[in-house]
Amino acid sequence: MRTFIRLLGFLRPYRRGAIGSLVLAALAMVGTAALPALTGRAIDDISRGDKGALRLVALIIVLAALARLALSVARRLVAGRVSLGVEVDMRDQLYAHLLELDMGFFDSQQTGQLMSRATVDLSSVRFFLGYGLVFLTQSGLTILLAAVAMIVLQPGLGLLALIPVPFVVLISSRYSRVSRPALQEVQQRIAELTADAEENVSGVRVVKAFAREAHQLGRFRSSAQRIFDQNLVATRQRALYNPLLGFLPQLGLAVILLIGGRKVIDGTLTTGGFAAFYTYVLMLVGPMRMLGLVLGMSQRAVASGARLFEILDREPAPSVPAGLPALPAGAGRVELRGVGFTFAGAREPSLRDVSLDIPGGATVALVGGTGSGKSTLVQLIPRLYDATAGTVSVDGADVTTVDPDSLRREIAVVTEDPFLFSDTVHANIAYAGAGGEEISRADVELAARRAQAEAFIRQLPDGYDTVIGERGMTLSGGQRQRIAIARALLADPRILILDDATSSLDATTEQLIKEALREAMAGRTTFVIAHRLSTIALADEIVVLERGEVLAHGSHDELLQASPLYAEIAAKGLPDQVFLNRKPTEPEVVGL
Amino acid sequence: MGVRRAELRRRYRATSGRGRKLRGLLELLRPYRGRTILMVLALLAATAAALAPPPLAKLAIDQGIVPGDTGVLDLVVVGFLASALVYFLATYAQTYLVGWVGQRVLQDLRLRMFAHLQSLSVSYYSSHQAGAIISRLTNDVQALDQLVTDGVVTLFGSSLTLIGTAVILFVLDAQLALLTFLVFPVLGIASFVFRLISADAYRLTREKVASLTAYLQETLSGVRVVRLFATERRHRGRFAELNDDNRAANMVTVHLNAAYFPGVELLSALVQAGILLYGGIQAIGGDVTIGVLVAFIAALQNFFDPIQQLSQLYTTYQAGMAALDKIFELLDEEPDLEDRPGAIDLPPALDGRLQFDDVTFAYPGREDDPALSDVDLVIAPGQTVALVGSTGAGKSTFAKLVARFHDPTSGRVLVDGHDLRDVTQGSLRRQMGIVGQEAFLFSGSIADNIAFGRPDATREDVRDAARAVGADAFIEGMSDGYDTDVGERGVHLSAGQRQLVAFTRALIAEPRILVLDEATSNVDIHTETRIEEGLQRLLAGRTAIVIAHRLSTIQRAGRIIVLEGGRVAEQGTHDELIAARGAYWRLYRDWAEQAAA
Repeated sequence: MRTFIRLLGFLRPYRRGAIGSLVLAALAMVGTAALPALTGRAIDDISRGDKGALRLVALIIVLAALARLALSVARRLVAGRVSLGVEVDMRDQLYAHLLELDMGFFDSQQTGQLMSRATVDLSSVRFFLGYGLVFLTQSGLTILLAAVAMIVLQPGLGLLALIPVPFVVLISSRYSRVSRPALQEVQQRIAELTADAEENVSGVRVVKAFAREAHQLGRFRSSAQRIFDQNLVATRQRALYNPLLGFLPQLGLAVILLIGGRKVIDGTLTTGGFAAFYTYVLMLVGPMRMLGLVLGMSQRAVASGARLFEILDREPAPSVPAGLPALPAGAGRVELRGVGFTFAGAREPSLRDVSLDIPGGATVALVGGTGSGKSTLVQLIPRLYDATAGTVSVDGADVTTVDPDSLRREIAVVTEDPFLFSDTVHANIAYAGAGGEEISRADVELAARRAQAEAFIRQLPDGYDTVIGERGMTLSGGQRQRIAIARALLADPRILILDDATSSLDATTEQLIKEALREAMAGRTTFVIAHRLSTIALADEIVVLERGEVLAHGSHDELLQASPLYAEIAAKGLPDQVFLNRKPTEPEVVGL
Repeated sequence: MGVRRAELRRRYRATSGRGRKLRGLLELLRPYRGRTILMVLALLAATAAALAPPPLAKLAIDQGIVPGDTGVLDLVVVGFLASALVYFLATYAQTYLVGWVGQRVLQDLRLRMFAHLQSLSVSYYSSHQAGAIISRLTNDVQALDQLVTDGVVTLFGSSLTLIGTAVILFVLDAQLALLTFLVFPVLGIASFVFRLISADAYRLTREKVASLTAYLQETLSGVRVVRLFATERRHRGRFAELNDDNRAANMVTVHLNAAYFPGVELLSALVQAGILLYGGIQAIGGDVTIGVLVAFIAALQNFFDPIQQLSQLYTTYQAGMAALDKIFELLDEEPDLEDRPGAIDLPPALDGRLQFDDVTFAYPGREDDPALSDVDLVIAPGQTVALVGSTGAGKSTFAKLVARFHDPTSGRVLVDGHDLRDVTQGSLRRQMGIVGQEAFLFSGSIADNIAFGRPDATREDVRDAARAVGADAFIEGMSDGYDTDVGERGVHLSAGQRQLVAFTRALIAEPRILVLDEATSNVDIHTETRIEEGLQRLLAGRTAIVIAHRLSTIQRAGRIIVLEGGRVAEQGTHDELIAARGAYWRLYRDWAEQAAA
């Protein structure tokens, strides 16, 4: 109930429209409800042979119909505006709120789940608020008016004819309640089949390589059978409820024929009255079903609303008090003092008591195996997460005491497989223009040139205006990486974070990226999560991490002496990788 | 205006090709003839029962109430109840049968497409987007589902109701019926025009909401980038714009509906007034009974509803037909690498002798630029061959021809003397293991994925294979060991771990011929040193083709083949090639220089 009242709060800015559409719906309904009475009157006039009265009644019917037309048109326009307004507001609010939530939230939620909140749940709420309430009023009022009219006409017969009403409403609302989960389960199973199909299309080479076509077909068949089975459940419901809902009102009609007919023969009811009764019961059929439907709809809307409020009620974090000072000027010195970090829900800390002091402009290589804490460490600097112990400071300021936007504008991250937006190449490179200022093509081109991306961008179908991801326009890993480097260059940050994971780039690309990185690193504090000795060689300082702790720390030569782990890494694998990466004769393949 | 006409022509054409679709649909229905016939009978009965009340009401008034004959009245009430019961039962049967037959047909269609997709060669998948292929199996079938579930019943039910009502009205009173039919063209044309316009409007709303959803999805996937560049405000602005676009598109449909539906209501009321007036005057003159008049007005509702329902069906119908077109297009795609008739199974224990007999291969559409030219060589059983060359030299193409993912443009590829085109693909691939750069895993447990290579493998076999490759350590360290769920495409595992599972999967199949295409490039150094031994075990005694970046792997190969521009540039052992001071020697020299730097 609380959820229901909170949901109504979304209507507040549209109070007048919402009330207006209810009033209009009610008035239009009066017009509809008047029609059977008028018809009955006409029949009586005919029985009496009164042509003049008949003409008058026909005229009134036409006028009533015209009035109803005007009211219905107005009601639809007003209600439509309210419904769409509520939808736009809710969606904007949800989106803005999502953008403020902490990274831990996104780690714990599947994108699919969030999408389902923002689409399915949101639409069920807005449909109820926009239309459900109107239908509720309209149907309820129709039933009420018809009931009053019938009871006034003939109390006994009226009550008899109304007997099916509560049953129809109950059954209809029950149908709406049970059919929903059944249909959702169908959707769920279809989603499973989709995942199955996706896997088989993406993994077709594996299936063929192992000659497992028959086995995969069998799996797919059972997925399809599961859809069939569940569809049959839904079909059985539909097959039972739909005819039942059509059948019950017929009983009301039969009662009117049987008893009303006798009353006409007795002379206690006019033929016109009889006809009016008959038409009223017919008129009730639609609203009875609608009322049940809306009742079911409102239950769903409340459930959906509860799920939406779950997100909207979550506090934005890390919470940022307004009016924090901007990051002080500096060369990009980064200090970590006794930093520890544990992911929400994790038992083991990812970082323990890490202390480092990196002077501005230095390049640091972070070396260590998977799970050693390299990636976690660099995420604390732009405050994607807040350290659970100790302090992280940039140019002397604790990062939690400065405006996060000003901090993040001074930090850029380039990963091996960077995320690009499905927008033009230009827009992706100019992405850092957060202040809203237009970034000129010349600036974008300069950044692209420095990032060694110019040549391949020129070869794209629309050059810098090519939309990434459209019409199968995909870029290779090396190309994406260089666009990300250009994006970082344009942001001109004090601090650069490079995640240089293992990759099997071909020789030319490897060379180009190395050059681009050298350009990007000049004059900035750079953290490199390094996997290659050639990248490690670029660093002034190397930090060896294991299980969240700094194991060793120093220059390449110092570490060869001091750290057996580092010596092993250096000796065994790293240089080997380079073989075959040196043959810059091959023209670059543009990944179209 | 010209654009509009062309658009109309396009829409008209979209309805052609009906013959193919109709034949295809009938063929799908054939296995369920019996139920289909029952379904049609139930539909007829249900429609007849739904049409009965107005004429019965007329009978009750004219024969029972007006003459004061309660006997007739009671009889009619019994008939009334009987018709209601028939309606209930027939509608139940019809709904159930439509659902059953429809879903069965859709299931058959899915399976047929899936089986057909499996028969298509790898080149089909290279030249078509995965998303589009998946959409055939999912979205297009869903569009048909809509048509089957709602469409079929509405199409037949509404048409029958319309015809039946017209007949009833005509029988009740021909003159009044003709008067009523006057609105038919008006309503029909208005409905059709409304549908035509609103189909566009609704398509626009679907597009707008799709781009809104896509934008949201993208923001959620890229939320780190948004946070890092502090661009929240800009994204909010863009989202608000898209949100407003969506509102505007929806507002158009609100306007259309606000004009159409109240309009139909008005028309219906006008007809009713007209009938009352005209029929009433006739009744006063004694030409028409009151019963006829009441029945007429009751029947009018049966006249308006089906027209609206039919016009609503138009959009669903179009979407369904478009989907059907795409589905049949897929089914009509000729499989290009089918087993030739009379293809033989390879003997179960191959020696593993591989021969390329003057092979040239060009990818479709790039005939003037062959990926392999005049390759002529023999690989002895049990030999390990390393393929060396830069990107685009033809290494991967070579490997694909061995697995017969493609057929050579000219020349022959032979295994133990059998031309690959003369043997069944299943028997070839059962003796061949392929491990690529991206190890693709299927959702399910680690054990399932390993046993994918040999379905009858016991847990013991799986464990042995994992141990042999050196994958046992990480697997046993996982929370559920071999039963750990790897997630979609194996996302719960790291790239290196996926690769280890893929090695194990290849090993357990005991292949005679093994193809490793950059299989170790995603494995990190620590892991690689660990699996080196496992790799040796994997290669031992099998014919193996290895494409690798690392010198250690290449050096160990019994023979190195250097490819350049699709041709064999040189071949021999590591020492021989170094001594020859050719292409391989140059590569080695460059590498040594850099490694020393």
